[in-house]
Amino acid sequence: MTTVINSHPKPRAPANPIDILNNDAAKLYTHLHPALVLSLYAYQFRSIVADPVPALTSALVPLSILQIAYVATCLPPTGNSGSSTLQQEKRKPGEKKKPVPGKVEVGINVKIIPAFLSLLLSLLVATPLLTATLVLFGAPITTHHTHTLLCGAHIALLSTLPLVYVHGVDGETWREIVAMLLPIDEVYGGLIGTVVGAWVGAVPIPLDWDREWQKWPVTIVTGAYIGFVVGKLVGGTLLRGKKIMFE
Amino acid sequence: MAPRTLLLTLANLLLPVAILVFATGFFPYKPFMPGLAEYEELGWEDRMGWEKGSGKESLPEAPFERLVFMVVDALRSDFVYGEGSGMAFVQSLIRDGTALPFTAHATSPTITMPRVKAMTTGSIPSFLDVILNFAESDTTSTLATQDTWLAQIKAKEGGKLVMYGDDTWLKLFPDFFVRADGTSSFFVSDFTEVDHNVTRHVPRELGEKDWNAMVLHYLGLDHIGHKAGPKSPNMVPKQKEMDEIVRQIYTAIESQDHLANTLFVLCGDHGMNEGGNHGGSAPGETSPALVFMSPKLKKVTQFTDRTSPIKPGGGEFEYYRMVEQSDIAPTLAGLLGFPVPRNNLGVFIEEMLGFWDDGRDRIQLLLRNARQMKRIVDATYPSLNFDDGVKDIEKECSSPKSDGQMLVCKWQDVVQIMSTIATIHPKLRIDRLYWFLRAAQETMSSTASNYDVPRLILGTSLALLSAVLTFFTLPAFRPISPQGIAYALILILYSILMFASSYVEEEHNFWYWATSAWFFYLFISSSRKEWYRKFILHPAIMLGILHRVIRRWNQTGQKFAGADDIVHSQLFHGSNSIVLWSLVGATYLDLTVRLSRHVARSIATFEGHSGVSFTEESDANRVMGMAAVLPLGATAFVFKLAFTAKDAPELTRGISVGLIQWVEGLSLVGIARMVFGGLLLSAFWIGVAEWKRTKGKKGESNGDFAVTLFDLTSLFLITQTRAQNIPLFLLFRLQFFFLSLLHLPPTSITTTTLLLSQTAFFALGNSNAISSIDLSNSYNGISSYNVLAVGLLVFLSNWAGPIYFSLAGVLLLGAHGQSRRNIALDEVDSRDWVQKEREHLEQLAMREDEGRVRRVEGDVWRAHVVLLTLWTAVGLGSVMAACTVLRSHLFVWSVFSPKFLFAGAWGVLWYFGGVVGGGGLLWGVGRW
Repeated sequence: MTTVINSHPKPRAPANPIDILNNDAAKLYTHLHPALVLSLYAYQFRSIVADPVPALTSALVPLSILQIAYVATCLPPTGNSGSSTLQQEKRKPGEKKKPVPGKVEVGINVKIIPAFLSLLLSLLVATPLLTATLVLFGAPITTHHTHTLLCGAHIALLSTLPLVYVHGVDGETWREIVAMLLPIDEVYGGLIGTVVGAWVGAVPIPLDWDREWQKWPVTIVTGAYIGFVVGKLVGGTLLRGKKIMFE
Repeated sequence: MAPRTLLLTLANLLLPVAILVFATGFFPYKPFMPGLAEYEELGWEDRMGWEKGSGKESLPEAPFERLVFMVVDALRSDFVYGEGSGMAFVQSLIRDGTALPFTAHATSPTITMPRVKAMTTGSIPSFLDVILNFAESDTTSTLATQDTWLAQIKAKEGGKLVMYGDDTWLKLFPDFFVRADGTSSFFVSDFTEVDHNVTRHVPRELGEKDWNAMVLHYLGLDHIGHKAGPKSPNMVPKQKEMDEIVRQIYTAIESQDHLANTLFVLCGDHGMNEGGNHGGSAPGETSPALVFMSPKLKKVTQFTDRTSPIKPGGGEFEYYRMVEQSDIAPTLAGLLGFPVPRNNLGVFIEEMLGFWDDGRDRIQLLLRNARQMKRIVDATYPSLNFDDGVKDIEKECSSPKSDGQMLVCKWQDVVQIMSTIATIHPKLRIDRLYWFLRAAQETMSSTASNYDVPRLILGTSLALLSAVLTFFTLPAFRPISPQGIAYALILILYSILMFASSYVEEEHNFWYWATSAWFFYLFISSSRKEWYRKFILHPAIMLGILHRVIRRWNQTGQKFAGADDIVHSQLFHGSNSIVLWSLVGATYLDLTVRLSRHVARSIATFEGHSGVSFTEESDANRVMGMAAVLPLGATAFVFKLAFTAKDAPELTRGISVGLIQWVEGLSLVGIARMVFGGLLLSAFWIGVAEWKRTKGKKGESNGDFAVTLFDLTSLFLITQTRAQNIPLFLLFRLQFFFLSLLHLPPTSITTTTLLLSQTAFFALGNSNAISSIDLSNSYNGISSYNVLAVGLLVFLSNWAGPIYFSLAGVLLLGAHGQSRRNIALDEVDSRDWVQKEREHLEQLAMREDEGRVRRVEGDVWRAHVVLLTLWTAVGLGSVMAACTVLRSHLFVWSVFSPKFLFAGAWGVLWYFGGVVGGGGLLWGVGRW
């Protein structure tokens, strides 16, 4: 079989929960962000129910902007992603000390570019994977392809974009993410919340209420949004630093 | 240890008791009034100018003498009245005014036998009749001793009845008919023969002058519905065929003198839903058509709606006026001139009063109907006063406290209006009589299901007590494990869902949803220990993919009934059926190969081999094993092909015609018996070999006999499964294989068993609706009716999936039949660079030994039973609690009572038969 006994002889340093950046803007926006995301969704809810495909497509744009703003303002970018110049920059661990070059330029290099890379990765890699997972969990396979794909894209933007931004694309870290071995923080909590929320979102579909919003994939996306906010809140406060224990 | 076992035994014994107690409270046996009704004294004779006496003197003259009662099974209202209907002749009669159309509301359960009871007795049959419908030959369900319009016609002087069609009538009315020819609806693929056998008698009978009533019951339309739904291309031609028969009969009535006074009734016993099934209370199922036809009807149809075709009025299937199906009995009584049957709860159809010009005759008819119904009301409310005295009751009647009181007031209204001066307009009296009749009908129909609430509560409490007792026998809770949490979550969520009618109807969605998440959890859980490089091929992911295919196999439930699924796709139909049969063949081949190995091993035992290589069968033995098993596998396959060629010919179109012709010539009962006999013989043969080996202590067992029995049972279960579902068992087998790769802890195995048993049940096309019960495999190997054998086969064919997984779970638990390598850890190099390898081997050795240790100790088995007892008790308890709390819910008869019946079958037959009985047997022989 394809079991790998253990290809990493050296034990990795235990991962720490992600801290949000230590500045006022970050502290303020991290609380503002969930409210903005939810209000954005609530604002578009009617049009999503009316005609999911165009509404969900156009909703991706403001969601991307909000998520990019969130990661760029609040989260530390990954240590080993992006270009080598970035790595040189990051080699100095001093938190506040910034080198001389223009502030805006640095901001773009250090934050905006990784944020856009995260967006790209979420859309190109995470979306197909999540869409496949949705199908595995029972999404329609012969019809509603665009619906499911858009649902996957929303889940990807909510859950994986911040994770890619803070953890990069290191395979081992992602294995730990999948195996739920990382300590909980607001970013990881957001992922778990989004996924669980999307799963719970399937619950109202079989009810005989004959409501328009029961149609695919409205409840799933709604569950994902609510799950994201709850997971981010709980992960950033109550459960912060806790590890998920199995067995 | 001992007190725990005692508690568990007690908890187990409580379960069937709880079900029984609850059932007696929920489905009370309704006493009926025996004997035939006779004309009785009416009262108010002086005032109305009726002659006094026995009541027979001044009977209104009956307009009809003979009756043709034509039932077309599942004739939904729109099949006759709608714009897409093929029944043009009936519609032309409606336009002429010689046909009077209605939609006759059929109460749930909408299956043939209770519906025939309702139409003939005028009563509302209890839910118990559903069970009796399946236990067809049960004599307590016949109407031989009850009062029906058939009995009344027969009791008339020279009364003769003839009947052609569904043999339900022959079972319900034994020895009633002077001439009869019953047809059975065994193969629903039969669209033509079953009707032709009725039609061929019609011309001759129309020429006969001796009968008073002729009953015809056509099944073909129902068969088309079951096979392909109401929109099947066969539907309109069938309607045209029925229309042609109506024309034939009506023309005879019109033209022949001896038929001139014949009333012709065309009706459906129930309708069908969009999937073509019936049994529940969807509008389509409860709205059959009812048409009265005769040239004489012109007299009463002057002011009725004669438009046809027409669009439905209120509801989707509500055409013309909606009457109750039970109204047929008193209406026939009035029109043909006999007393209203005793247990009747129907009301004389108002339009028909037009046959009598004298208002006094009309009043007399209704008063007789009211007197008859008042007897039932009297018997139901013995403490209330329903006499004919005029009283002042204004005070208590301004707001009646109970239904009974309300009826007293309505009756008093009748009494008062009857006692006033003779010259008031008859319409006033008629209105009051109808108020009473309709109120009594409504009240008595709902009290037709009066529950024994203390018993309901006692039954529920017993089930919950069983759950509490089991709870105390649970193994230690700590440390809290995720699989324990998952199990508890399933239990809690399920108990809550049982209170919501939608989730009962869509229960499969819960299990599919939970199982997907469970497999995802298994993936995460195993990824924490080691990472599969090709994670797409991880066993848990494979399980998820298989699960996704399995849940799509059969669309079930109510909300999305008729949506696309694999079974109904073009993949398996027509010339593509070769795909289906290749998969079916693969399933049979896989089982045959497995069985051949078991036989080879047994041959080796008889030859007396011993030593380490004991289980390594020689090639010669394998060949012999195959030779011994191949006939069994081939026979089983041929049986399935032959059965399907008859039952679902559309699934065998891709098979060569010669082969089909050959298998169609075979005796189904004979080959089924050969298969069952072969299975028993194999079990016996291998059993003797295994027993011999155990006795001789030659070589260690791996629990192989348990595996043998499992494989034999699988072959049996497949024989009891419809062909299009057989490939599912191949997928189940794959799931079983991937599960065994995961080396799950015991609690996880129990949880998996539970989830997959439930998933398999629904994936095979079952649901919590009576209409989804599959009866096609209930007569395998049986040539005559036998309640026990047929009941057992019905259960086994519907619960084949759950039984499969309850047994597979046991094999997973004890790792039966999994090879062990006997790794000698002492010999493994202990140098540092092979440390990893050593750990790996240690782990392997531990795992492989674990199954053996588990089998010897038996604690795991106990824990497995405890968890499944708890599940059964909690599940039953919550279903019973839901039925008790929601007993006056609108859907109690269509959703909750069927669910209780299903829960009872799970709790008694699956749990005791599959988990404890079958599982215990496997566990027991696994220790040999």
